[in-house]
Amino acid sequence: MRLHKKKKFDYIDVIANTFLVLFSICILYPMLHVVALSLSEKGPITRNEVSIFPIGLTLDSYTYFIDHPKFLSGFINGVWYTVEGVFANLFFTALVAYPMSKYKLIGRTFLMKMFVFTMYFSGGLIPIYLQLGNMGLHGSEWAWILAGLISTYNMIIVINGYRAVPDSLYEAAYLDGASEFQVFYKIAVPLTKASLASIGLFYFIAHWNSWYNAMLYLNDEHKWPLQLFMRSVLIENKETDMNPTFDQNRLTPTGVKNSLIVLSMIPVMIVYPFVQRYFVKGVMMGSVKG
Amino acid sequence: MAKISSKPGSNPSAKSAQGEQLSRHTPKSGTSFWARLWAQRQLMLMLLPGIAYYVIFCYMPMYGLRVAFMDYFSLDGYDGSPWVGLAHFERLFVNNFSTFSMLVGNTLLISLLTFGTSFPLTIVFALILNEVRMPKIKKAYQTISYLPTFLSGVIIASIFIQLFSVGDGIVNKVIVMFGGKPINFMLETSGFYTVYVVSGLWAGLGNGAIIYLSALAGVDQEMYEAAEIDGCSRLKRIIHITLPSISPTVITMFLLNIGSLIKVGADKALLLRTSGTTEKVQIFSTYVYDIGIADPSAQVSYPAAIGFFESVVSGILLISFNYISKKRSGTSIW
Repeated sequence: MRLHKKKKFDYIDVIANTFLVLFSICILYPMLHVVALSLSEKGPITRNEVSIFPIGLTLDSYTYFIDHPKFLSGFINGVWYTVEGVFANLFFTALVAYPMSKYKLIGRTFLMKMFVFTMYFSGGLIPIYLQLGNMGLHGSEWAWILAGLISTYNMIIVINGYRAVPDSLYEAAYLDGASEFQVFYKIAVPLTKASLASIGLFYFIAHWNSWYNAMLYLNDEHKWPLQLFMRSVLIENKETDMNPTFDQNRLTPTGVKNSLIVLSMIPVMIVYPFVQRYFVKGVMMGSVKG
Repeated sequence: MAKISSKPGSNPSAKSAQGEQLSRHTPKSGTSFWARLWAQRQLMLMLLPGIAYYVIFCYMPMYGLRVAFMDYFSLDGYDGSPWVGLAHFERLFVNNFSTFSMLVGNTLLISLLTFGTSFPLTIVFALILNEVRMPKIKKAYQTISYLPTFLSGVIIASIFIQLFSVGDGIVNKVIVMFGGKPINFMLETSGFYTVYVVSGLWAGLGNGAIIYLSALAGVDQEMYEAAEIDGCSRLKRIIHITLPSISPTVITMFLLNIGSLIKVGADKALLLRTSGTTEKVQIFSTYVYDIGIADPSAQVSYPAAIGFFESVVSGILLISFNYISKKRSGTSIW
């Protein structure tokens, strides 16, 4: 097909690659810096010598959190809220997208407009906060899980996924006398695994990384997810600068803070290899109009 | 049966099957609304939780916005609290005009700075990445570019506070290296905006580019070959083929962003502000949070009125820009 298979390396290639190498360094440097600081000894950190390689390799900073009750409870809470949230989100998004994917559905256009409208207009913080309080949801993770149960954007991705399944498969199942529920979980869901994995990843990242909702609805520190504990350590310096029992001889605030960042990435690093290929796909699917 | 299966678009070989599928969603006898509804009873059942969600958690809070026209007391609730008309809006626009103008100014400043840098740079980044001809290297660049998407707001804020810190931040090292004086970024409003914008670019550029790259991947390669045969240089091909082919995507993204011009989330600003900047960098969302939730004697109706104003303005912006775009270029987001 191509006329010239080997093309000469011209000035545009030079500019593009130079720019992208510099850009990649800008992206990677801060991350590597975090890892290096978390693994370095006290001396080099206080003398400000660490850049992207750890100096005097040690796990001292990490040991600070091994028996830290707030870290452990935060980690467990964070994982639990994420599991609950992702399952609730995925189940209801997949379920509601199924009837919405049927062109013959009564009131489909109206419902779609009703759903899409909420992407642009919402009641805002105060009415939602009041309402969740009146429903008795303050103090529970279900406040924000229920309030964000279905993302319209993600639902549109799944609707498009269901519609991409060949009609003949649905027809065959109907002929065999399958109910809509059977068609939903035996045909529609298994054949749109890629779309569901993508939105599952979006929901997962959103839940694991969220701290703002937890700050709004959870007063009890024992219920805090990890990100909220991290805010008190990383942003408010509550564990290091304001803590008289902090071991200044062995540890540095910088080292401890950065080891916390690395520790908090464990769930993401576990999930990432399995779902990485769905990430770009998912963002691209969102660009298809619903 | 026959009438249904002879509808346009039905495949003759799958005629009976098509008829069967349609009979699942359209009644065998009669076409009354109730007959159709009965034929779709299972679909309706599946739809119920979704409708319930949107009604309870999206539309009821919108109805709850009436609190902006009341003097809400939590003991009296919605039913017992007195109506006060536009009193809270008067308080916002007239009595507290200086606060209001500061909120408008800061919110617009933050979103124009963010939007003004990230919107063009994302497109430029996508165009540059599109010019890399070795697929594996291109993939590597792209993977690196969206890695920050997986980091939480707290982590990103922490990383940038560290990079811009006075004592050991690399930014101040560079400033000192070039003979400048170290700047305490986090204590100055200009520093707050700088960190806000730079961290946004760092975290969002790669993720934002994906949508343009998918549009670029759809461009017909034969156009490029035809242009090349006609002696069109590579730069000219970018300008005359690549750019026009992503312009619908660009317009759509522009519209989506312009609608949220006045909607700047509170979370990032709450993380980046410090004792030195808090009062000066208030935006609508952080102000609503501060006086409506964080304050021990939190108010309800006044912050709700501010939120109402924010929502209405962004709605108007979105609708009007969409209208202009539809007239001018035929691109619309709905």
